[in-house]
Amino acid sequence: MAADAVSVGMRPRRRRVTRARIGTAVAVGAFTAGLGYLTVVPLVRLQALAFEDRGQGFVDAFTRPGIWTTIRMTIALALGSLAIALVFGTALAWAANSLSPRLRPLRALPILPIVVPAIASVLGWGFLFSPRPGYLNALLRHLPWWTDIDQGPINIYSLPWIIIITGLALAAFVYLFVSASLESINGELIEAAQVSGSSRAGVFFRVTLPLLRPALVYGGGVALLLGLGQFTAPLLLGRTQGVSVLTTEMYFATKQEPAQYALAAALGSPLLLFGVGVLVLQRVLLGDHARFVTHGSKGFRPAARSSRLGAVAILLYTLFATVLPIVALVIVALSTWWTGDIVPSTFTLDNFRNVIETSGITSAIRTSLIVSVIAVGIALPVGFIAASILYRRREHRLMGPVLDFIVAMPLSIPAVIFGLGFLLTYTQGPVVLYGTNWVMILVYVTLMLPFSTRMQLSGRVALGDAYIEASRVSGAGPVRTNLSILAPLMRPTFGAAAALMFVLLANEFTASLLVRSPTVQVMGTVLFDTYDNGLYPVVACVALIMILVTALGVLLAVLLSGSDAFRRL
Amino acid sequence: MTNVSIRGLSKRFGGKSPTVAIDNLDLEVGQGEFVVLLGPSGCGKTTTLRCIAGLESPESGRVCFGERPVYDAAAGINVGAHKRNIGMVFQSYALWPHMTVRKNIGYPLRTRRIKRAIASEWIEEVARLVDCGPLLDRYPTQLSGGQQQRVALSRGLVARPDLVLFDEPLSNLDARLRDQVRTEIHELHQRLKFTAVYVTHDQSEALALGDRLAIMRDGRIDQLATPEEVFENPATEYVAEFIGMANRLQLDRRDGHWVYGGHAVHGCPTVASDEMAARARPEDLHLAPASENAPEDAVWFPATVVASEFGGRYIDVVISIGDERLHSRLPAGERGNWARSLLPGDPLLGFFPAGTLTFFDNTATRIPTRGSSTAARMAIGA
Repeated sequence: MAADAVSVGMRPRRRRVTRARIGTAVAVGAFTAGLGYLTVVPLVRLQALAFEDRGQGFVDAFTRPGIWTTIRMTIALALGSLAIALVFGTALAWAANSLSPRLRPLRALPILPIVVPAIASVLGWGFLFSPRPGYLNALLRHLPWWTDIDQGPINIYSLPWIIIITGLALAAFVYLFVSASLESINGELIEAAQVSGSSRAGVFFRVTLPLLRPALVYGGGVALLLGLGQFTAPLLLGRTQGVSVLTTEMYFATKQEPAQYALAAALGSPLLLFGVGVLVLQRVLLGDHARFVTHGSKGFRPAARSSRLGAVAILLYTLFATVLPIVALVIVALSTWWTGDIVPSTFTLDNFRNVIETSGITSAIRTSLIVSVIAVGIALPVGFIAASILYRRREHRLMGPVLDFIVAMPLSIPAVIFGLGFLLTYTQGPVVLYGTNWVMILVYVTLMLPFSTRMQLSGRVALGDAYIEASRVSGAGPVRTNLSILAPLMRPTFGAAAALMFVLLANEFTASLLVRSPTVQVMGTVLFDTYDNGLYPVVACVALIMILVTALGVLLAVLLSGSDAFRRL
Repeated sequence: MTNVSIRGLSKRFGGKSPTVAIDNLDLEVGQGEFVVLLGPSGCGKTTTLRCIAGLESPESGRVCFGERPVYDAAAGINVGAHKRNIGMVFQSYALWPHMTVRKNIGYPLRTRRIKRAIASEWIEEVARLVDCGPLLDRYPTQLSGGQQQRVALSRGLVARPDLVLFDEPLSNLDARLRDQVRTEIHELHQRLKFTAVYVTHDQSEALALGDRLAIMRDGRIDQLATPEEVFENPATEYVAEFIGMANRLQLDRRDGHWVYGGHAVHGCPTVASDEMAARARPEDLHLAPASENAPEDAVWFPATVVASEFGGRYIDVVISIGDERLHSRLPAGERGNWARSLLPGDPLLGFFPAGTLTFFDNTATRIPTRGSSTAARMAIGA
């Protein structure tokens, strides 16, 4: 009886505990729903459009002449560049891991292709290997066996070469994953295989490669998705020789008079479906495990002995993938005409003066900066909240996986599709934002969700629970713990994430091209317009300015969080 | 200062293979008492501590600090860790690297809104207690492991909390420092008389520090007693093994004789059942030349040397009795001592002096015999 009386008297308190829990669940649910609205609604609207009029979009898309060639080329580009990326990325990771301590800073170099604006380096490649006036082609024609040809030998506008330069750029992504994994292999595992009688090659194929498999699968998956969604290189280089992929066809469909949005949406469907499929497969296969790279603790010895060959390989890759295209841009920017001959005596800065005075680049730089900074300002706290929820995913059984999925989507679905989805969603009701900076900001925030969340989540995981628990048992509530303990300890992560996002957004071209309006132009879109008008020296100037702005962002990142800032992706 | 009362506490960990971490646990910690939770990893001791701290939520039961319930499943009470007025010392020290030592120690005072002047006085005082006075303006990364743990200790004590919790605070320190900091914790407790719950898997730490030890197994307490009682009269075979009684003799009665490893063991006590287990520490297994007789009341048997290792002050000898092995630790004595000349294959006499063996029935519960007070009384009664 006494027990009954107690439990009756206490009942209201129990309700209070559950109410607090429900409050948290509602807040998490609302946050997830908000992000879901931002990212999923544009995609749904896009698909709905493709299905309108009994799927007229699909009929148009898949009965038009040349569609199967386009699909074949899309697959060839994706698989071809994936193969190149896997081989080069793994080799570079191997090379980076064998650097002597003095040369360690070189490890940052293979990441440059991610940091340098894709549109700028693609143009640089064009200036190097265009069949007739390409600088390196002109140089190659001096070789005895090529003296009789008047163009080539390399045609950068052909599909194989587009695949090669895409593969070289994607190698940087594979490098990122594989080198992290390679570093975490305990050297004793390698030595154990050596003393057991394996040759160096035997060790690589029997021990190292199997250990790298998760990283290769993950990095390869990312590279495959990026290869499928590749837009910049085929758009800028492929047009003259009829190289077309699904993403470029989508863009051209929106440029027809009148714009064929249903057709564009239908053309994007296979990419969307594949991206979502990969995402689902990945979650099912890997669960939570792939997210966290573990590091050997006690008795950990880094693998591999140092070799000079590694440094040479990294420098060669950097020379071809990054330095030469930029050098070509510089030469063209300083010349009056792009001819293929380099005449230093005629170099002039007139082009830069010209660009700054006329092409609208100054206002585009301003827009790029404003839009990127605001987008970073939104994506950072949103990513922090998402990371906090995912960190405690055990407590959010329902919303955790949903949020995880939403946040990962922009990495596996091509930016063209997001661009088109946002264009369609915000040119009609209920919220019309087309023509304002806000469409651009929203699409930028969406594209940055995976980076923001991933980086902050891994920072949070690295921090562990002890610091937070020590604060709680010291008597600090959640607000004080977050402000005095968590935030200061996470500051390097915040800095790195913000700088990285700024760099990626300042470089953004694909989605920007779709959602831009005559009044809202960013650096990438201005660059594309000048390229369309065929003023090559001006184009080169704009590209260099874009690289410069990016470089400032990189510098900021390195100042904020050290030279390893970009290895935390 | 307060007493702690835990009633019927239970906690399961979900997931693919659910495990019971705490199983209907009861524990009373008196005011100013130092209770050590001792057990191997996975026995639930850390989970229990974290439930007391409020860092983990149990599923049922009740935890009270004095009269105040901080957790009560039936009433739906679960006071947050930050409102429990406790101090805690972590295994990893958990000193915030972005704050100076002074700020680290002062943090619990800031959260309790203690006036700046008083706070700085308390910080100085507690830092002096653990010899960290000169370190106050350094950062944690500039300190050695021992210094860091002393700072963590002062952070746990500075606010004069009702209860101080220790989560294996010494296991990250090297052996010499461990003894030193252990002594300091003991001194601090003698001086400040705080109520403490201390988790460890190290029996020497537990024996040295605890007013009482709770030996835990599978989320339950096997024995709760003073260090002397646990050491001398382990309640169960599990406790005996954990507390260092590594020698185990499985005894079977055949034709009125107790047999171990196929050989007769003489001098065992009279008990009703036909099988029992005996446990003893290696130090309590004595050896003598085969020609000698065992002392009166000893449990003895003939054996053979398997291996002998010189260890400085002592000699570790492994002997066999049939297929079974036992471990004896003998004082090394002077040069030329008999124990130093043992060779594999030598026959000898093994014996446990009266009262050094502890016997357990087939439910692993201690059988009262000579050596324990109850056994003595029974012997008189018989």
